[in-house]
Amino acid sequence: MRTRMLSLFVAVAVLALCTASPAQMTQYDEDQRWNTESHIGSLTGHATGAKVTYRRFCVGCHGVIGDGEGENAQWLDPKPRNFTLGQFKCRSTPTGTLPTDEDLYNTIGRGIVNSNMPAWFPLTNQERADLVAYVKHFSSKWTTEKAGQPIEIPAEPEITAERVKAGEGLFKKLECWKCHGVEGRANGPSADTLTDDQNRPIRPFNFHDGSRFKCGTTDQDLFKIFMTGLDGTPMPSFADNVKPEEAWELVMYLRTLQPANPLNTKEKIIAKQLGLKPINPYAAPPAQPESK
Amino acid sequence: MTAFRRCLAGALLFLFLSFGCIQDASALPAFARKYGLRCSACHLAWPVLNDFGMRFRDNGYQLMNEKDAPIWQNNGYWPVTFRITPNWHRESSNKVQVDTAAGAGAGEVQVTSHGYDISGLDFHTGGTLEKNLSFYVLPSSDSTGAFHFETVMGRLDNLFGSTWLNVKLGKFELDNMISEKRILTISNNGGFYQLYHFVPVGDTNVFGQMGDNQLGMEWMGHSFNDHTRVSAALVSSNDGQVGLPNGNSYSGFFTASQAFDAGGLGLQRIGGYAFIGEAPTNTLSLTAPTGEVTATGVPIVSTTPVPGSGFGNKSFSREGFFGLFYVKKFDFDVFYQHGSDDAYFGSATVAGTPLPTGARNPTWNGAFIESHYTWNPQLIFIQRSEWVRMSQQALPTNPSNLGNIDAYTFGYRWYPIMTSRAGFAWHNEYSWVRQRGTSPVTATDLSSSSLMLGFDFDF
Amino acid sequence: MNVGSNQEKDPMTSRFKLTGIMSALLLVSVAALYSARGASAAGEGKITGTIKLDGTPPHMKPIDMSKEPSCQQIHAAHPVTLENVVVGANGGLQNVVVYISEGLSAGAAGQVPSETPTWDQKGCQYIPHVLALDVNQHFKVVNSDQTSHNIHPTPNPAGTNHEWNKSQPPGAPPFDVTWTAPEVAVPVKCNIHPWMHGYMAVVKGPSAVSDNNGAFTVNDVPPGNYTVTAWQEVYGTQTAKVTVAAGKPVTADFTFKAK
Repeated sequence: MRTRMLSLFVAVAVLALCTASPAQMTQYDEDQRWNTESHIGSLTGHATGAKVTYRRFCVGCHGVIGDGEGENAQWLDPKPRNFTLGQFKCRSTPTGTLPTDEDLYNTIGRGIVNSNMPAWFPLTNQERADLVAYVKHFSSKWTTEKAGQPIEIPAEPEITAERVKAGEGLFKKLECWKCHGVEGRANGPSADTLTDDQNRPIRPFNFHDGSRFKCGTTDQDLFKIFMTGLDGTPMPSFADNVKPEEAWELVMYLRTLQPANPLNTKEKIIAKQLGLKPINPYAAPPAQPESK
Repeated sequence: MTAFRRCLAGALLFLFLSFGCIQDASALPAFARKYGLRCSACHLAWPVLNDFGMRFRDNGYQLMNEKDAPIWQNNGYWPVTFRITPNWHRESSNKVQVDTAAGAGAGEVQVTSHGYDISGLDFHTGGTLEKNLSFYVLPSSDSTGAFHFETVMGRLDNLFGSTWLNVKLGKFELDNMISEKRILTISNNGGFYQLYHFVPVGDTNVFGQMGDNQLGMEWMGHSFNDHTRVSAALVSSNDGQVGLPNGNSYSGFFTASQAFDAGGLGLQRIGGYAFIGEAPTNTLSLTAPTGEVTATGVPIVSTTPVPGSGFGNKSFSREGFFGLFYVKKFDFDVFYQHGSDDAYFGSATVAGTPLPTGARNPTWNGAFIESHYTWNPQLIFIQRSEWVRMSQQALPTNPSNLGNIDAYTFGYRWYPIMTSRAGFAWHNEYSWVRQRGTSPVTATDLSSSSLMLGFDFDF
Repeated sequence: MNVGSNQEKDPMTSRFKLTGIMSALLLVSVAALYSARGASAAGEGKITGTIKLDGTPPHMKPIDMSKEPSCQQIHAAHPVTLENVVVGANGGLQNVVVYISEGLSAGAAGQVPSETPTWDQKGCQYIPHVLALDVNQHFKVVNSDQTSHNIHPTPNPAGTNHEWNKSQPPGAPPFDVTWTAPEVAVPVKCNIHPWMHGYMAVVKGPSAVSDNNGAFTVNDVPPGNYTVTAWQEVYGTQTAKVTVAAGKPVTADFTFKAK
């Protein structure tokens, strides 16, 4: 018994060292991870518990080995997530790190707007927790590293005209308009040439027409999107250059770009009061005392 | 009860199939093609819906992903599905009226027939015309190819952005939580719920049919997660017959249900319903010559009802509760009904004329329990037991058990393919029904059975 | 099942097995440890050489930077082209990574240089176009332009290097990065400026990148027998076997054939 366990241990250790090789996931690899678990609040999910659920709901798009090559994938845009890569868009963790179990649980329940990923919250909580474990078991990354540390999200401050204007300044300084356009219509100078991590064309989010983001609808969701980036897409993380308090200002400005119907947020009311116009990205900053 | 147990034991050991009446709403591969989901995503085992599919339907056939409007589909996409079931079936009835030496129509004999046959064709088309504007049109034919419109409806979904405001207009199935149009048994005797069509013997109320699609308007509201559902429908009391044949009477159908998340077991749902309304007992008539004459030259006349002139409305009601319970792979549907028709209906009396002596409102209680075992998304076992018991007969001369029904059905469906393009089920079913005192000559118990094996497929 | 009788069968062989496995584990874990206790040999050697392209180099398309006026201005006098194949005046092939693919001792492979090279974005181009790094070596990402860039490396998803994507507005401070696994090479792109492409070659041990004359020098190579690999982004890899002696440079030349 002991020797068998030890050889297994050595086998796993050797396998872990071989991860640099560009091997495809095999049935053997997958079989090592049937005991994957997930923990969301008080729920514990087990990959083995989700076999039938995955087959019933997910396999048509995400494929039998979770590589996003289900029978329908060839007709879908955006393409279904390839779970074997261990890379996800909607996270609360920094760019280049794994999402938390709760991030995956929320994505499954909420679905991804403007895509074919349905909102699966009619499934029970336990079913979804099991599916999170099942999604994780497709990639070896979860056996070699832990999920990232969720970013700090301070409490949302009151929406004021000063903050909206500060957010406008950030929108200009961070050059969001290069892709999203000055009115947020996804028509910035770089919008047409954007490609995702597999070099497939992809469009930026259209704030002018879109009331819901891929990763949620709330201000917190919007905060997380640009402070963690949407890995796998051109949308980068701005966490290195935006302080959390400043991030809320940008959230408030972005809300002014979104349609009044159905949102009609306080930010839109403030924007109207301020007479806020689209930014002019090429306007020179106000003249400095010393000449350049 | 022992006989029932024996029947159940037989069901577990020995599963047969039989084919019968057309079933309507089914898996719509048109939806599967539109969204890239397999049938098993929305259907426990098509045609019966699971909770995810129910929410999809309640949202107006929308996933609410901002990709529901038809503009997101390739312009070659056409939301049409057809369903048909070629089969072999065996029908048997123990007392069929026949001519005998004793006289015309004097005898009752058992008649059994079996052979290959086909069902009618359902041509489903449904989905969205635009975001939050959905529709469903279902021309349906019998097995000879004679078509009628089973469903024609347009629906305004999520009015003012609220899931509680959805309005439907047209001809549609009443909001039965246990949908007869999505029933898993499709034989002649097993393809419907007795309680959705039950009328006491001799009763003239053909309007209180919960299982027939009705013409009317329905408001329906549901919570965001679809755990709470309510609806109220106002329908014309003409049992879905077009052309306003019966005059100006209406009925209302009300239902509400609440679902509970039972963790690992699944979602449990309980609710209640009421179908109350009035319908005509009489119409105006017109006697006119047919243009033919008898042998002696006397013109032949016929008396026909004047269309749309129904009057003498009397009331009826059906109310009860239902429950849908999931225990991992098992699920049980429980349904109870208390029904009551006005004495005028029960005694086949037109309003304004005196009732027969001792005529009362016929009332009854009935229940069915249908259980499923879903071995996996491609194999489901079905069993149903249904009982109807008259609690008060319309006429004192009626035997107290006249019209009581016992019905048992069992079968299984095996889906060898499960894709996002088409559905196919190897359908096997046996059903047996007995009604007290309704045989045509001797007014004794009448029983019939269906055995069916068929290919139930849709594309 | 009687566990006792199993143990009685072959006590000696099972103990040998145990010892063997434990020592193998020990060796494996030592090798996996990145320790600065690597062989600091006296008299390290060098590998030098020249890399040439045999044949006519492919035509490199000029880059249209009209969508980024601030960068277009910088190159107004000398428009730039794509840099997939850069050949110098004498047929020397630039931007070829030369590294030791086999033969390095665990200690030498585990050494991480303390230098922090810079990955700069200047004139909407990556300077250098190809950067050779050690595993776990820190490097700095700098934006010297008046426009935002996003730095988006896309390593091989089957490996353990993670893809990440960070924005760097003009005037933002440099940020520090390391790669945890060897990979030749990680493509890097900027989504805002789709013509920007570069590579980071992450290797273990010393490495070099050829200059405009195709010349390279790999320093700090301990004496030993090695396989040296040269990688170019279009023409792939070539290998050569060398023996390095202390204090003496050894030459390895490579010639890639133009397709």
